[in-house]
Amino acid sequence: MASPADRFSRLAALKPTRFVPVSPRPLRAPDEEDAFARLTGAGLARNRFGEHLALRHWHATPEFVAPSRAALELLSRGRDEALSRRTRDALEDPEKWLFLDTETTGLAGGTGTYAFLIGIAWWDAGGLQLEQFFMRDFSEEYSVLEELSLRLAERPVLVTFNGKSFDWPLLENRFTMTRSIPKPRLAAHLDLLHPSRALWKMRLGSVRLVDLERHVLDAPRLGWNRDDDIASAMIPQYYFDYVRGGPAEPLVGVARHNQMDLRGLAALYGKIEAMLNSQSVETEEPNSVDLFGLSRYLQRRGETDRAHQTCARALDAGLPAEFRPRASRELALMAKRRGDHDQAVALWHELVNDPEDGLHACEQLAIYYERRAKNIPRAQEFAKLGIAKINRLRSSLRDSYISSRVVKTEETFLHRLARLTRAHGND
Amino acid sequence: MSESLAVQAARQSTSITRVNEVLDAFVQRDVTGEIVTSVRRFPAREAQWAEFPAWLNADLRAAYIAKNINRLYSNQAEAAEIVHAGKNAVIVTPTASGKTLCYNLPVLNSILEDVDTRALYLFPTKALAQDQLAELHDLNQRLGDRVGVFTYDGDTPADARKAIREKCHIALTNPDMLHTGILPHHTRWTRLFENLRYVVIDELHTYRGVFGSHLCNVLRRLRRVAQFYGRDPQFICCSATIANPGELASRLLESDVKVLTANGAPSAEKTFVFYNPPVVNRALGIRRSYVGESSRVAQEFLKRDLQTMVFSNSRLQSEVLLTYLQQANPSQPGKPQAVRGYRGGYLPNERREIERGLREGKIRGVVTTSALELGIDVGSLDTVVMAGYPGTIASTWQRAGRAGRRSGSSCAVLVASSAPLDQFIVRNPDYFFGNTPEHAFIQPDNLEILVNHLKCAAFELPIKPEEKFGGVDVSDLCTRLAEAGFLHRAGENFHWTQEAYPANTISLRSVTSDNFIIIDITGEPQVIGEVDFTSALVFVHEKAIYIHGGQQHHVEHLDFKERKAYVKRVDVDYYTDAVRYTQVRVLEIAEQTRAAETHPEIPAMRAHGDVLVRSQVVGFKKIKFFTNESIGAGELQLPENEMHTTSYWITLERPLLESLPFSISERQSGMFGLLYALSSVATLLLMCDQRDLGTAISERTLSSDEEGEAFNVVRMQDIASARAKEFFEPNLYLFDAYPGGIGFSEPLFRAHDLLIHKTRELISSCACDQGCPSCVGPAGDLTLHAKEAALAILNRLIASKSLAENFA
Repeated sequence: MASPADRFSRLAALKPTRFVPVSPRPLRAPDEEDAFARLTGAGLARNRFGEHLALRHWHATPEFVAPSRAALELLSRGRDEALSRRTRDALEDPEKWLFLDTETTGLAGGTGTYAFLIGIAWWDAGGLQLEQFFMRDFSEEYSVLEELSLRLAERPVLVTFNGKSFDWPLLENRFTMTRSIPKPRLAAHLDLLHPSRALWKMRLGSVRLVDLERHVLDAPRLGWNRDDDIASAMIPQYYFDYVRGGPAEPLVGVARHNQMDLRGLAALYGKIEAMLNSQSVETEEPNSVDLFGLSRYLQRRGETDRAHQTCARALDAGLPAEFRPRASRELALMAKRRGDHDQAVALWHELVNDPEDGLHACEQLAIYYERRAKNIPRAQEFAKLGIAKINRLRSSLRDSYISSRVVKTEETFLHRLARLTRAHGND
Repeated sequence: MSESLAVQAARQSTSITRVNEVLDAFVQRDVTGEIVTSVRRFPAREAQWAEFPAWLNADLRAAYIAKNINRLYSNQAEAAEIVHAGKNAVIVTPTASGKTLCYNLPVLNSILEDVDTRALYLFPTKALAQDQLAELHDLNQRLGDRVGVFTYDGDTPADARKAIREKCHIALTNPDMLHTGILPHHTRWTRLFENLRYVVIDELHTYRGVFGSHLCNVLRRLRRVAQFYGRDPQFICCSATIANPGELASRLLESDVKVLTANGAPSAEKTFVFYNPPVVNRALGIRRSYVGESSRVAQEFLKRDLQTMVFSNSRLQSEVLLTYLQQANPSQPGKPQAVRGYRGGYLPNERREIERGLREGKIRGVVTTSALELGIDVGSLDTVVMAGYPGTIASTWQRAGRAGRRSGSSCAVLVASSAPLDQFIVRNPDYFFGNTPEHAFIQPDNLEILVNHLKCAAFELPIKPEEKFGGVDVSDLCTRLAEAGFLHRAGENFHWTQEAYPANTISLRSVTSDNFIIIDITGEPQVIGEVDFTSALVFVHEKAIYIHGGQQHHVEHLDFKERKAYVKRVDVDYYTDAVRYTQVRVLEIAEQTRAAETHPEIPAMRAHGDVLVRSQVVGFKKIKFFTNESIGAGELQLPENEMHTTSYWITLERPLLESLPFSISERQSGMFGLLYALSSVATLLLMCDQRDLGTAISERTLSSDEEGEAFNVVRMQDIASARAKEFFEPNLYLFDAYPGGIGFSEPLFRAHDLLIHKTRELISSCACDQGCPSCVGPAGDLTLHAKEAALAILNRLIASKSLAENFA
């Protein structure tokens, strides 16, 4: 005879009208010998696929930062696609967000790499709630994946660092291999590596999470430091040793490493939000190189007005010499596109003598004077100047090989000069 | 440009006449009758037709008709029916018999009937896959682009890969890509595996020896992954003509396979000529250079405006031939070169241009390496000249198949080099033109190979202990792998516990991954190749001359620890030969019988089984080209190498030796000469290289002294005296040069009679006096009368009434 639970589960009348999140089942105390559980305070979780260990912590920092529509728009927009209504709704609801970071048995990917520790986090009570799933052995994998899929069903907006290339494809593989747990459908996936590169790579060189923590986030102030952090290259070996009966202590370090990564990820979101949010009130003026990075990011995303303002701001804020010509060049281009030709011309005049961008400036000035200002002598002057620059470049190089792009530019100058001379008879 | 039928007819008849002129010229010059050793004419053959099968999808039928294919050859129809019936099949055909239609028709038909159908096509090279792609694209266009056909290999750009995986109905790939790119990432290919209905394996005969043994294991992994997704695909194979296609296919697929050998395709009249360059030094057995002769032969055709393709076996020789022929056929001012070179290494546009030029007849001659042997449509030429024997009978027919105008005469000329195989072939044309003796063998359960693939399998899917993987005890191997740290048993199953990705370190062309990397330091250091450990000791010892891509390299330094060999390009007039001391001990006899079963009184036995081979390279000799004089030697300090493998051997019992009317040193030398010749003939039968088989003579029962003997005590001078130390009852071994054996020993044992007879023919028909590299080995390595001694031994091994009396 069917149990009451079965009969009721089929009743339409009993189906809830709105989605009720399933609260995770309470954890049990694990067996005595379970060293990892003992050392970390993890509890035993169980579902239809078996058991695994789960660690839960709540941290007051990083503090919750509400995502703004403006920032989300920038982060999730593709080239020209508009966000679907559903995606937008999910993104704008921070309760639908899940931060995720995995610890794996290797970086190779493929079907033989496992995620033995899956760390997730979400905003809760002003701070960050962490949950880490750990498989004590390979036989506990399905149980872990099942739990993860339940969390993702409730919070389908995934936020990761490099997750688009690594963590999520790996997890997709793992789900596929089970042949029984369907791959969770994400409403959206924000990979913070890409905006981080755009904003901070120019200044920092490397955008590894630990570098961002040090130079952009000030993690110690937020509440954690990497002083005794394990070397991530050792992680797979620690797990293999453990699974063969070795010590659990190194894995405690791995769990701690994963916790810091998750907190760093959430804090990073806050910082990116602050940079991208047009309304944000900054207590301290952002770094000028970061501003320049931001302006290029905005430009690529089509926010031309803001891009222009930010670029100008970067120059005013004292952009270091190595970036100035590039910034001037971009600002000039932006100005030209906005129709502010005076500013553009002024910037190009400044750039004419720059070794890198001088040629570009000559080209633009020649175009401007011919087409807009209708000042033929000046147009010719800049065309000739451009040609002279190219000749100097050619003679200074050892094997007089210049790039095909420069050759094309030279041809354009020559055509222009020829046309101007023909039409107006000047020399 | 089209021509009237009359003009075409006139042109055809003159081309036949011109070919015959050339052949007459050769025959006239051949006063001794030794140069042109064979002229075989094959009459034209009509096609045998059949109708399209009734079940053929109407759109596909229309597409073929639009391509001017209105009916099928009889073998194509038969193959289509067998495949349609769901059976595994191997289609055995000579070239140009329309074999691709045999598999494309049923596969495309299935896809059109059921849009979820998926197929995987395996080709040995990317170039062949590209050709097939062009053919399939053409059909697909006529089908309204309904079928997704893509190549998936190392050259596929990363951003295209995802799209291909989703949209692909037919994925064209190669074994290496399947091994490292697809199987370990099978979760990315769920759509393919969940619907995998067909696997097509083309050029099946190339999967023999080491490569074939690996492929069998890759297919085991493929079937295992397909099963995971609920599929058991059907296999369709195509093979060139070899003696055992059914056996090879069923070993590779580990299932029953239907063998289809009928050929209904038409063929033009063909003439096949064997050309042996004349002897210039009878004593040493030296002949005129075959490269020079080949260019002269080709020029005879070219100067009569016959479109000619010249094949050579190395890039270097191609260049020599090309230079000669271009000089002999200078281009008109303003016009392009009439004779071109062609290599796989050329840029794609160049290659397309040459292919087109050949099809259109604008290019009159092309000099190429094996790159133009298979696939690639270049139309049909008038003549083909092969500079040197391509190595197998199958390849020779494939190259010859490039000549074959549908409505005219065509001619193929094989010019022999002085290598033993070449000489054997041209002097024994019946061997070549009769039923092929070439067999393809594999040994997929070689544990070195199998265990590596087991690791890959574990990476792909955890291993269940009751699984079958080949004919071995998987759970025992898994336990061992677990002890070694590769796997870990969790619950029932064995999981992969390494960071690294096993398939990357496993080459499908070597048995172990303990390889030496060869680095060319002539200019900027550049890795040019890899050799396995055992071969390295023999071929890249310090001061060796190592040939790669037809270019000589001198080995400057061998770094053992790092497994690196440093070489520099050179151009010298000698080659080196390592002096090896090899001792073989029988570990287990699999089978043993009297050498001649019908005459058990002949004092000899034959056997095969497991052996332990100890060898050490103690020195090397420098040998001048052509004259084969020894112009130098050196000692080497290299470690001893031990290898377990399989072997075939002949035991010469005491009475046989004593019956030989020769001195002891002559007898011993005769045995070595005999073994040298046996090994050449064996490589012919096995379709393998000289390097794949090792030779050694050891005492049948080794004394404990001999076993324990440290090799490094043996010096170069002692080698000669070691030979002088008389064997009491020697075993003459032909062993597989790969750890674990690669499947040659048992077949050689079974082919013993053939081997003995053919070796006798090789030696007795050789025109040299005292021995030469074409039969028993260079005379300088042998004593006087060694050649006669070798023949004497062979005569005694062959059962015949009069000889039996010697031993009664």
